[in-house]
Amino acid sequence: MCPYCGVGCMFYLVSDGGRLVGIEPSTTHPVSRGGLCVKGWNAFAFVHHPDRLTTPLVRRNGELKPATWDEALELTVDGLRAVQAKHGTDAIMFASSAKATNEENYLLMKLARAVFGTNNIDHCARLCHSSTVTGLAETFGSGAMTNSISCFDQTDVILVIGSNTTEQHPLIGSRILNAVKNGTRLIVADNRRIRLARHADLHLRHRNGRDVALLNGIMHVIIAEGLEDRKFIATRTENYAALAESVADWTPERSAAATGLDAGDIVSAARMFAGGERGMIVYSMGITQHSHGVDNVRCIASLAMLTGNVGKTGTGVNPLRGQNNVQGGCDMGALPDLFSGYQKVSDSQLREKFARAWGVPSLPSEPGLPLTRAMNAASEGLLQGMFIMGENPMLSDPDQNHARTTLQNLELLVVQDIFLTETALLADIVLPAACYAEKEGTFTNTERRVQRLRKAVEPPGAARADWEIICDLAGQAGYEGMHYSGPSEVMDEIAGLTPIYGGITHDRLDPHGLQWPCPDRDHPGTPLLHVDRFTRGPGHFSPVVHRLPAELPDEQYPMVLTTGRTYFHWHTGSMTRRTHLLDREEPCSFIELHPDDAARLGIRHRDRLLVSSRRGGVQTEARVTDMVIPGVLFMPFHFAEGAANALTNNVLDPESSIPEFKVCAVRVEKLP
Amino acid sequence: MIDTPRHNSLYLPIECEIISVIDLTSGEKLFRVRRSDGVPLSHLPGQFVQVSLLGWGEAPISVASSPTREGFFELGVRRAGTLTGAMHTLKAGDTFGIRGPFGRPFDLPRLQGQDLLLISGGCGLAPMRSLIQYCEDRPAEFGMITILYGARNPADRLFKDELAAWERSARFACSFAVDSISGGDCFSGSVGLITALIPPLHCIPDRTVAVVVGPPAMYRAVIDELHKKGLSSDRIVVSLERQMRCGVGKCGHCTIEHLYCCQDGPVFWLNEIEHLRGAI
Amino acid sequence: MKTLTAGQLEQLLAVLSTSWELRLTILLPDGTRVIGSPDDGPLALQGGAVSGKPTAAFFPQLGTVFASSEGELREPKAPERPLFVLGFTPRDLACLRFIDRFFADGWRDDIYFRQRDGAVVAGLSGYCGPGGSLIRPAGGNCDLEFFRDGSNWLVIPYSEAGIEIAAKVADFASPEARERFRQASVQLPDENETLLLRASELLRANRVPDYFWSEIGDRCIACTGCNLACPTCTCFGVQDWRSTRQVERSRMWDSCQLDGFMREAGGHNPLGSEGERSRRRIHHKLAADPEKWGEISCFLCGRCDAVCPTGIGIVAVMKELVARYE
Repeated sequence: MCPYCGVGCMFYLVSDGGRLVGIEPSTTHPVSRGGLCVKGWNAFAFVHHPDRLTTPLVRRNGELKPATWDEALELTVDGLRAVQAKHGTDAIMFASSAKATNEENYLLMKLARAVFGTNNIDHCARLCHSSTVTGLAETFGSGAMTNSISCFDQTDVILVIGSNTTEQHPLIGSRILNAVKNGTRLIVADNRRIRLARHADLHLRHRNGRDVALLNGIMHVIIAEGLEDRKFIATRTENYAALAESVADWTPERSAAATGLDAGDIVSAARMFAGGERGMIVYSMGITQHSHGVDNVRCIASLAMLTGNVGKTGTGVNPLRGQNNVQGGCDMGALPDLFSGYQKVSDSQLREKFARAWGVPSLPSEPGLPLTRAMNAASEGLLQGMFIMGENPMLSDPDQNHARTTLQNLELLVVQDIFLTETALLADIVLPAACYAEKEGTFTNTERRVQRLRKAVEPPGAARADWEIICDLAGQAGYEGMHYSGPSEVMDEIAGLTPIYGGITHDRLDPHGLQWPCPDRDHPGTPLLHVDRFTRGPGHFSPVVHRLPAELPDEQYPMVLTTGRTYFHWHTGSMTRRTHLLDREEPCSFIELHPDDAARLGIRHRDRLLVSSRRGGVQTEARVTDMVIPGVLFMPFHFAEGAANALTNNVLDPESSIPEFKVCAVRVEKLP
Repeated sequence: MIDTPRHNSLYLPIECEIISVIDLTSGEKLFRVRRSDGVPLSHLPGQFVQVSLLGWGEAPISVASSPTREGFFELGVRRAGTLTGAMHTLKAGDTFGIRGPFGRPFDLPRLQGQDLLLISGGCGLAPMRSLIQYCEDRPAEFGMITILYGARNPADRLFKDELAAWERSARFACSFAVDSISGGDCFSGSVGLITALIPPLHCIPDRTVAVVVGPPAMYRAVIDELHKKGLSSDRIVVSLERQMRCGVGKCGHCTIEHLYCCQDGPVFWLNEIEHLRGAI
Repeated sequence: MKTLTAGQLEQLLAVLSTSWELRLTILLPDGTRVIGSPDDGPLALQGGAVSGKPTAAFFPQLGTVFASSEGELREPKAPERPLFVLGFTPRDLACLRFIDRFFADGWRDDIYFRQRDGAVVAGLSGYCGPGGSLIRPAGGNCDLEFFRDGSNWLVIPYSEAGIEIAAKVADFASPEARERFRQASVQLPDENETLLLRASELLRANRVPDYFWSEIGDRCIACTGCNLACPTCTCFGVQDWRSTRQVERSRMWDSCQLDGFMREAGGHNPLGSEGERSRRRIHHKLAADPEKWGEISCFLCGRCDAVCPTGIGIVAVMKELVARYE
């Protein structure tokens, strides 16, 4: 399985004498169908990179020095215990990884809860789709993509909002391109002129952070023109009257004034979307990464229900998950308030069930810290120890300066990763892990498809699979409940405790996996959610009040910065920046700005710029392009030199704790 | 075609030793080099070598000296990426690898007996210098020789001492231009584009050959001026810069339609390539 | 010409494995067919061309150029036993012939020929296409050819190595089998072959405007699959990996569909737009290579069309191009 995005494409790794030398795409896989994107085609290329970690490292006299596994494991466990003894059980936190397998996420969750007695476990889903999980749980009862990737071939209209699909989920983006070629209508709501926009019937370039205003305006038109699906509303939903009332004064004119669009385009969008027999909504970080991310998701859920687009092929609310296993990380309960399968830690019966299975007297009942609140908790001294598996918050978290100070001030920082990342450089102990090509397990893709990962080559040096390291840590801590013959046995334990994974075993996953919910061994999996009823019962309309982004441009910082990714790099670049062809394509940090802004500021293409916000400043290179609208800058966050997250605002959605990566105020200056 | 290297693999670099390094500008250095095994490079003006720095990769660099200057060859290197950045840290006595020389040189037989108009811009003077030095050393082989050179500003000019020497020499007629000057610059040439130097020239089209080497943006404007002077495309020579990876016509990075710049070029007669997309 | 049953063919391969390193068409667990070691999956000779480029046997996606430590340069060795590759269709064999010529011309690419020299290449043809359909015999371009006839395989040797191997087969083909082979060898009309010629003609006559390529470029997500699956695509990039112990230089398949492919350090890029890159991909095969090599370098293997996620493989583009500009 591909280690990059959540689409979940399948390929074989070609090896020669224990070394990977190429990729063979699977020709039969239902998602990738013989194709891959450029990252997939190059996914073997970083595996044997000389920078791979091959031995545990321990900080001695300020420097990271090689150590034995025994030393490193002992120091890790003793260190975590010492922090707990000194500052309390919840003074430590575990960060799990959306790059690790389901089994590994489950085991780290078990380690945190059963062995160290804390619910302080979370992973980077907090930074990408926590708004989805919260928003869709409230409205539908399940936070996952409702439909399957194959639905893109069977729909009449697609609304893409806040997703640069051809770059970030390329094999889904290409399905959308094919659908358009075959007559599907496409509405793109995104102010960047992304590739999909060139093929769209309607491209809405609304101002950043005005999604609620846009969606409320669209819903207003649908209701005003009687285009809603009355039967669906009557039979499948509740609280419709409140929604109708809340959008009653969102006339196209008001919506247009708030979004910077033409009122006529908002009307057209409403007619086009409601006019399709089957309509899909696709969204991603452009919706979720806002201080009102959950509200954005609620609006999307309402729009889908209003038009009867849930529970059928070719419809649905389709949040595209970013990481290859971010769906699995959530499913496995690497979350502060949930066990695997979205079972609440606050429920005493569920706690009892897990405690019994894990052979411990009790489990903590209070939800733990979300990752994005951990930095603040640490700077207040509440958190003193962190165990980070396969994440790089130094580049991925907002407000880099704050993150650095906080991580440096921890009493204990343990990082388990495949490369010495910017975060690992700050660690007291570094544990070398195997990468995706060197271990067994399962990943769950964005359409809830649980798929097998197979080992192709041995890990370098003394590096070991995350699951093996976690089990050894548990053993070191004196816990006897983590001895497994392999990931398959871990999955059996997961299935026994997790109803939605109840029927999932490794031997059932060949060749192309199973989509959860899969409650028992005979269940064929579930391509569509909410078919006859929503998971929660009736679908719940949650009306939303429009709120502005937390930081708006002003005289001092007159421009809006929005952050994101490029096609060629993955997140903090630890793998793609070590892949020759990918790094050659985008070798350095850059910022997109509109030709009008460039002319006004006297900036030319490829000039060096200083970009600053209230949090800090970074140097980067100007890319003058009409991809962006005037007044808005776009910057990818992959690059350690020129890190976009030195600028971003660590303001969180009050409900999902997602940071507002998509809007902050900055100014740009040309460097001499 | 030049001799095949004397060792087995096409892709193994040959060790060279740096005799001296001098700064040409703040971003460009000149490396005087010889093969560690003492074998002469055996190049012709206009050819290039693949410079190889272990751990940093390879890059094509034109040979800046004429084969008539024996016992060494010279490479002018602008600091542009990681490889050239690493190259700039090397000093006399250090070694690095080369492969080559590769590519088609200036067509000396067809230049001999002709008046030459040698036009270069920016770091295009480095490959041009191999030809100018050749002309200096074999003065009888050519007719009247005019050197035109343009740079962004006086400080960015390469080979400043040699430019002055050529200007003094009776063998060459020289005109130099810079895009701009600032206070304190000592510069006697004209300010403006190099194209402005062409119209005042007196040349006899049917016994003149123009050779043009410079940054991509320069070619079209200069060629237009030359055409206006009555020079046909079979009397204009260009040397094109491409990102060659292998130098031997395999890697595909330097193709111009069906031509491989590293083998069929980098020196072309304009009439061979002016109809090809993406050539100039 | 000789005949083998399926069982005899497997026995022959077992005998050959003592002298050659076998690379055969095998089946992977999910149904993907590739050319690989017989240890990695069961033999799967039926079903037509394999999905990946078969020329990868000699020119892998990533290959070492040399490694250097303590001042010494070491090149990878030639394989201990030469390769025996079974799985090239006649179209694949035409591709192989083309790149053999490409790598040999001028400077001979010794890295390629380290794998290629001494290798035996066996073609696959006859009634072994998808669904048992007929694949026209190659009639050459290989050391020997295996032609599926009913449930048997006819063995037709061409080179000395092929004759030597065929000598290990006792049985002679029946006159009827010979006749079926002869009939299959008669040129069948193939509409894609005429399409190829017509598209090439249009490109060489410069009758395809730039906006056509911009439209194709708009649909290209730069996955590079077309190049990476193409048996006649030979472009490569070079990388150096440094560690404390050694430096390793390797080369990997590259793609002209990437912006960085021709971009120079100073920013100049002769292939700087999506349209230019889309044009280059098709034009190079259909117009530039005929100019340089005297033949079109697309042999209609179909891989770029199969691998392209957005439906702009070479056949799809040629169809659109001919429909619009002829």
